[in-house]
Amino acid sequence: MEQNNKECSSSVGGFQVPIKRIIQFSPPLYRQRYNFVKNLVDQHKPKKVADLGCGNALLIQTLKCHSCIELLVGVDINKDKIGSQRCGLSPFFGDYLSPRELNLSIILYHGSAVERDSRLLGFDLITCIELVEHLEPRDLADFPQVVFGYLSPAMIVISTPNSEFNPLFPAVTLRDSDHKFEWNRKQFQTWASDVANLYNYSVEFTGVGEPPAGAGNVGYCTQIGVFRKIGAKATESCIAGQHDEYVYKMVYSISYPSLQQKEVRKYALVNEVSRQVQCLRRGYVISLKILQDDASERLSDSGLITFSGPVFTELEKTNIEKSPKPFSFGNKFYVPLERLFAYPKVNRLCDNVDTMRALIADTMKLNRDGSAVKVDLHDE
Amino acid sequence: MSGRARVRARGIARSPSAVEMGRPQSSQWPPSVDPSNNEALSNRGFVGTSGISQQCSDSTEKGVNSSLEQVMPPFGLVASSDSIEGQRSSQSSGKASHYKDNISSDDAGCTFMERGGKIRRDLMDLGVCTREKLTHVRDCKTGSSGIPVKLVTNLFSLDLPQDWQLYQYHVTYTPNLESRRMRIALLYSHRELSNKAKAFDGVILFLSQKLEEKVTELSSETQRGETVKMTIALTRELPASSPVCVQVFSIIFRKILKKLSMYQIGRNFYKPSEPVEIPQHNLSLWPGFTISVSQFESRLLFSADVSYKILRNETVLEFMTGLCHQTGMSGFTQTCEKQLIGFIVLTRYNNKTYRIDDIDWSVKPTHTFQKRDGTEITYVDYYKQQYDITVSDLNQPMLVSLLKSKRNDNAEARMAHLIPELCFLTGLSSRVTSDFQLMKVVAEEMRLSPLGRQQRLARLADDIHRNKDARFELETWGLHFGCQMSLTGRVVPSEKILMQDHICQPASAADWSKDMRTWKILSTQSLNKWLIICSDRAENVTENFLSCLRRVGNSMGFNVDCPKIIKVQETPAAFLSAIQKHFDPAVQLVMCILPSNQQNYYDSIKKYLSSDCPVPSQCVLVRTLNKQGMMMSVATKIAMQMTCKLGGELWAVEIPLKSLMVVGIDVCKDAFNKGMAVVGFVASINPRITRWFSRCILQKTTTDVADCLKVFMIGALNKWYKHNHGLPARVIVYRDGVGDGQLKTLVEYEVPQLLSSVTEASSNVSSKLSVIVVRKKCMPRFFTEVNRTVQNPPLGTVVDSEATRPECYDFYLISQAACRGTVNPTYYNVIYDDNGLKPDHMQRLTFKLCHLYYNWPGLISIPAPCQYAHKLTFLVAQSIHKEPSLELANSLFYL
Repeated sequence: MEQNNKECSSSVGGFQVPIKRIIQFSPPLYRQRYNFVKNLVDQHKPKKVADLGCGNALLIQTLKCHSCIELLVGVDINKDKIGSQRCGLSPFFGDYLSPRELNLSIILYHGSAVERDSRLLGFDLITCIELVEHLEPRDLADFPQVVFGYLSPAMIVISTPNSEFNPLFPAVTLRDSDHKFEWNRKQFQTWASDVANLYNYSVEFTGVGEPPAGAGNVGYCTQIGVFRKIGAKATESCIAGQHDEYVYKMVYSISYPSLQQKEVRKYALVNEVSRQVQCLRRGYVISLKILQDDASERLSDSGLITFSGPVFTELEKTNIEKSPKPFSFGNKFYVPLERLFAYPKVNRLCDNVDTMRALIADTMKLNRDGSAVKVDLHDE
Repeated sequence: MSGRARVRARGIARSPSAVEMGRPQSSQWPPSVDPSNNEALSNRGFVGTSGISQQCSDSTEKGVNSSLEQVMPPFGLVASSDSIEGQRSSQSSGKASHYKDNISSDDAGCTFMERGGKIRRDLMDLGVCTREKLTHVRDCKTGSSGIPVKLVTNLFSLDLPQDWQLYQYHVTYTPNLESRRMRIALLYSHRELSNKAKAFDGVILFLSQKLEEKVTELSSETQRGETVKMTIALTRELPASSPVCVQVFSIIFRKILKKLSMYQIGRNFYKPSEPVEIPQHNLSLWPGFTISVSQFESRLLFSADVSYKILRNETVLEFMTGLCHQTGMSGFTQTCEKQLIGFIVLTRYNNKTYRIDDIDWSVKPTHTFQKRDGTEITYVDYYKQQYDITVSDLNQPMLVSLLKSKRNDNAEARMAHLIPELCFLTGLSSRVTSDFQLMKVVAEEMRLSPLGRQQRLARLADDIHRNKDARFELETWGLHFGCQMSLTGRVVPSEKILMQDHICQPASAADWSKDMRTWKILSTQSLNKWLIICSDRAENVTENFLSCLRRVGNSMGFNVDCPKIIKVQETPAAFLSAIQKHFDPAVQLVMCILPSNQQNYYDSIKKYLSSDCPVPSQCVLVRTLNKQGMMMSVATKIAMQMTCKLGGELWAVEIPLKSLMVVGIDVCKDAFNKGMAVVGFVASINPRITRWFSRCILQKTTTDVADCLKVFMIGALNKWYKHNHGLPARVIVYRDGVGDGQLKTLVEYEVPQLLSSVTEASSNVSSKLSVIVVRKKCMPRFFTEVNRTVQNPPLGTVVDSEATRPECYDFYLISQAACRGTVNPTYYNVIYDDNGLKPDHMQRLTFKLCHLYYNWPGLISIPAPCQYAHKLTFLVAQSIHKEPSLELANSLFYL
């Protein structure tokens, strides 16, 4: 994290505004906040994550690539803003070609962070990035009760501007015209600690956006509180007792293809199996040729270039070697399912040989007892 | 950085239009099967299909061919049915100059087109108004003969209020804002504009409603509280027919299709959520649409056609591994580069496509690169941090793609390194296209019956009508998306086939091979001295075949004497040296029975016998001759080809015009040397249009515009003079192989060449000239409604209204049958016409000419001279790579 003194653009809420400012953060401050959340996700592997005050859902876009997440929810009170960047939330081409392991749904709701909606219960992580300073005093008062008391996720991240940092900006009283207040470190920490105590959370304080050298002890530009629920994750059990309360209006919802879906898994498996079979077949055909042609001609001349192809661990190698070998009979080439199952990429997609057989049986040709895949040995 | 220099050097060498680089590209070709395409029995499926990847622009039909399909109906006959998307990128089609000033506002240094990319090439052709010069069709260009037929189209009406106008504004910011995103956000969020329909690129703003003032001053506050003044000044008011509007409408529809959760790849839109999976071949087909909005004869129409994107469920790394297994390490890098460079890949972690421009073998994922903020990071860490992706193979090389800045065409191309493991291939490699089984499956999946196609179109229209966002978008612009358009076409009378002493009315115009068996062909030369070269193993087959050939020859009236049979080893060199050894000038024809469809057999033989030692040759695969129960039809087909190669005539149709010369011109790229274009020119030299004069030249060029037409034309006129003792009264030229955006060049450059050659040829009355541009790829599709279902229109259907363009003398003709799949009409645009034939006669003459392709006893999709020219250029581009000898010019040696 470094600062440069020059004219530059800085960002608030993902919106680029060029303004003459003395301090520039690199990466931009909003990115640093998102990266902070990203790192938390990396560490704690939450399954269900919600972002209150998600704005144009940029944080959700940033988080959607994490393989551990199965549900991503964004809530914002500004309906126009939620919709603006939707295309970034739909699956990439790659998500179709190489589907995720776990399901992922992304849902955006139009609603307020101080309203209760039971669809946000039982989350592992709720983030409120630069949210609280936009709340009117009454809403701010309700906020802990809703988020900590009602939603009660395993972890909460709250970030807000640190007003002690403001004097470093030229002529800024509040950083955004919609801010209702900006707290100094003490104010934030007092509020946060009280809330944490009341709802049985622990809290740690940190921040992003370090002050420039020589600026004194003003603290981070953005202060962050990370709240963790004390005690077991009892959330799941209490959901059942709650009444369903649907207050939010769903404005967007998408679910990603994943290997949890049977058809997707089937295609992925057949893909992988046929690739492996073709690979083995080609290798086999070449080995026959070498026997005929005399191997000496096929010496490698590459020298500098190393290209190894797939890399296996020792264990994987022994597994493959232990498994029954492919064979040919007449003009047909057979690869035992056991053999295919030994390859990690195939193995990943099915639990055992029987499930594999069941999944590939209607698209691939098998031998009579169903123990091996059968293909033509030669092209054409 | 030598690697970089290398890339740049290569990039330039490869693509003459450097502006194109880095732009995600794709081009189309139809996976059609055309009976007439390949040398019938040599079964060069491999050569034929690999052509797909190499020739994109004019997408002549190359198809999935097997010897069986070449001989037997109902082969394919799918004549260009569905377009497969995603092919090796090519700079082939239309070398557009990018005219930037097309839509510029007066003072802006930056135009809408410049920012949004380039003006689309096909739109450039819209400005070419050739009809106004043709006085005889100024008022009416429709024909009259034939039976009217009601046709459903893939066109949808787009209605606008009578007085609708598009208002173009120029927007300036004070203080000036650099960021385009920022400019757009500020403008869009302003109250004044938030409810208006608008298209804005940061500088030029289009509105459908006029602002009250000519110059409007608005001010907006950034989130920081800074005030920015926006000055919106009216620059132009455009009527709905303006080409600018067409472009804006396209932008609107692009927005709408995105709202229907389709993804844009290249110019088309696809739905990856409803894929057709072919997992046994590691393929995914994404269904989608290619759409356009344009001004047709009397109104603005939206056209949509079903398209598929082929994706491979295979990463580049997996592809490389497969290749490595196949070829071994020796020469691996070269093979790999040859196979991969030019391909378009999709990356796993974003929605971008890249063209592979090079492979950097020295960079590994463990190496570092500099991020935009200046920090160094390894590729592995970057992908982990940024996208939670673990790169498993740390030894893989990097793919290099040149990125082009969108904003500034002069900027030096930036390079992107891509990890093969994270890239997916799109389109089909030549290795894949040569896999007959696979291509069959793909074609099967992509082929849509007229009904299937109609259902998809109806669903799209329905989706557009139902989707709230889409409806809102249309309404705010004042557009009304109407229903599918119907029109009336005409089915012109069928043609009689003239044989020797017999006039036959074939049962089916699509295929009269049965009728051929009973009647003698028009004229032949007897084959007295000829050679057969075959391998030892093929001796028996050859003998069987020979007796068969003589039998069928006899019934046709083609006398075949015994050849000299030479047995050789199974190597291309052995075949070639046998030819050299046994050849003498009296030999009329050389037949080679090839043991395999390896390209070098065919290429080396054809090359030698077409130019070094010119004599007609016939290549046949052993496998073809081994087909059980097929020998008679195989032999018939070969006998017919041999007759043509010796200068014979098979059949004719009645041509009412006496003294008419027809010419076909086609242009294609050389398969090896992309800098060379092959121009084929085939002209008829008798009034019956049964004998042809064929010339071909390789020209160094970056465009598909023919350069040597004068020489060819004069040559053809001289030939005609020699045979007919006079010049032809009329010359009609059919020009195929025209890329998008080239129409203007054609009018300005090729037509004058042709015109000056006909005028110079004679001192008094010169031949009258017409030039017709032939396009096998066009947007409209036509269906007939029969018993509540839709079918392909009958053969000979002509459409010359509504779906045509007001500024052209044009028509559509359906002259080929499609048993499965949907037929593609051929589009004819008469760009020059001294002959002044009635449109009706022009249409019927064109239809007649579609009967005269001697490689297929049936109708084909384009006039025979075009198909001959195509066949000739294809042979030269794929196999010979040099000009065939003039001695062969009088026979159809390339069939």
